Amino acid sequence: MAAIIEIRNLVHRFADGTTGLDGVSLDILAGSFVVLAGANGSGKTTLLRHLNGLLTPTSGTVRVAGLPVAQNRLRARMQVGMIFQDAESQIVGETVAADVAFGPENLRLDRCEVDRRVAAALAAVGLEAAGDRRPHLLSGGEKRRLSIAGVLAMQPQVLVFDEPFSNLDYSGVRQVLGRMVDLHRAGRTLVVTTHDLDKVLAHADRLILLDRGRIAADGDPAAVAAAAEAFGVRCPPLAAERLSWLN
Amino acid sequence: MAELSTPHRRWTPARLDVRLKLALLCTASLASLQMQLYGLLGLLLPFALLAIARRASLGARIRELRWVFWILALVFAARALFTEGAPLVSLGPVAVTRQGLQEAVNACLRLALMFVLGGVFIGLTPTGEIKAAVQWYLRPIPGVPAARVATMLGLIARFIPVIFAEAARTSEAQRARLGDRRRSPVGRLATFGLPLVRRIVLSADRLALAMEARCYSELRTEPELAARGRDFLAFGLGLAMLAVALAV
Repeated sequence: MAAIIEIRNLVHRFADGTTGLDGVSLDILAGSFVVLAGANGSGKTTLLRHLNGLLTPTSGTVRVAGLPVAQNRLRARMQVGMIFQDAESQIVGETVAADVAFGPENLRLDRCEVDRRVAAALAAVGLEAAGDRRPHLLSGGEKRRLSIAGVLAMQPQVLVFDEPFSNLDYSGVRQVLGRMVDLHRAGRTLVVTTHDLDKVLAHADRLILLDRGRIAADGDPAAVAAAAEAFGVRCPPLAAERLSWLN
Repeated sequence: MAELSTPHRRWTPARLDVRLKLALLCTASLASLQMQLYGLLGLLLPFALLAIARRASLGARIRELRWVFWILALVFAARALFTEGAPLVSLGPVAVTRQGLQEAVNACLRLALMFVLGGVFIGLTPTGEIKAAVQWYLRPIPGVPAARVATMLGLIARFIPVIFAEAARTSEAQRARLGDRRRSPVGRLATFGLPLVRRIVLSADRLALAMEARCYSELRTEPELAARGRDFLAFGLGLAMLAVALAV
């Protein structure tokens, strides 16, 4: 499989001079399920925000489907859909359907195509009956699924999840994880940041550990997870990487 | 799926074309300035009954709207006490006059009519449609960024519950640490207001980032609005009602 995301020597320094990312290089293959883990402040969210041009590199390059993100932000955002940690804060619409339509409307698709995409995205996350509901009245799991639908309606090749399980109860985690696994099976590339490895590791095919803006370990989830404790991430119990929360 | 976004599913008065509804509301606001007692009452009562019929719990709604009654009471007192005319009751240096009482009743009825018509309009119209109508009316005006104004309107509507939720969270967190026992109102305002503003600004910042991630642009798919024969008929009936109310 070809790399859909190529990152070379990516450095990001914040305005206060602290280094968020320090020479990160990696390729993400199309159709893969990659987990990025690391302690708070390790650079996970910063790295994700470079994938669709929300941040500009201090140096280095990020390419999505062969095109540099810095010069093709709109295209990068169409190809890399980002689901933020705080689902509430990314809800724009007054109704569930209006929120999902926000992205396709920004792409200036015709109304029939917008409606078709909204219907398909809501069905994909199991919210087809909630189109007329007010988003802020949804449960935590439903809000997270709504944010996934909002991104799916833009039909990106890559879905990037920033801490998708934060603030969710067991049922919410299962709802969101189920949708993520379905999307991966449907051929999407998934990049997920988390420090709860046990929730997602059974479904991942690659685990990357970040530590102070650098890649500390990268490879097979089972092998890399064993080293996670050293980088501030709880190592899942033995064999947990094969124990899905969906079973 | 078409039913989710097509403005008109099955036509009912509630589904009158939003631009005509908005035009009728503005016309009614202006016309009410010229209406007298019976006209105002004749218009207010049916819409007030409609508003009441749509509400599940009248008591709860009245409690929610108690500030409206305070405003009406203030307007009534100001008009009744400070309008010159034949005195009915004297209260020291001021007197309630016949003309003042008449003015006070009319002014309160006008305000109440505006609250009720506005409430019925908002209750019967999705925010998305109001936004679309505002955008439609602003579009021909040169120099006015209609799409941006419409997006801002939508965001304000979306942000109001967030602001209330943030305020409730901030208040709870402060009461949990006995913040409500502070005596100085300025101190209480500062300790409550500053964190609240900070949280709201952070929420707005996150929202802006999320909008950017979803390719936000002012050049977006336009909302679909369609006025049909029945919409114009209902609009005409509304104008006729206003004309009758003006005449009586």
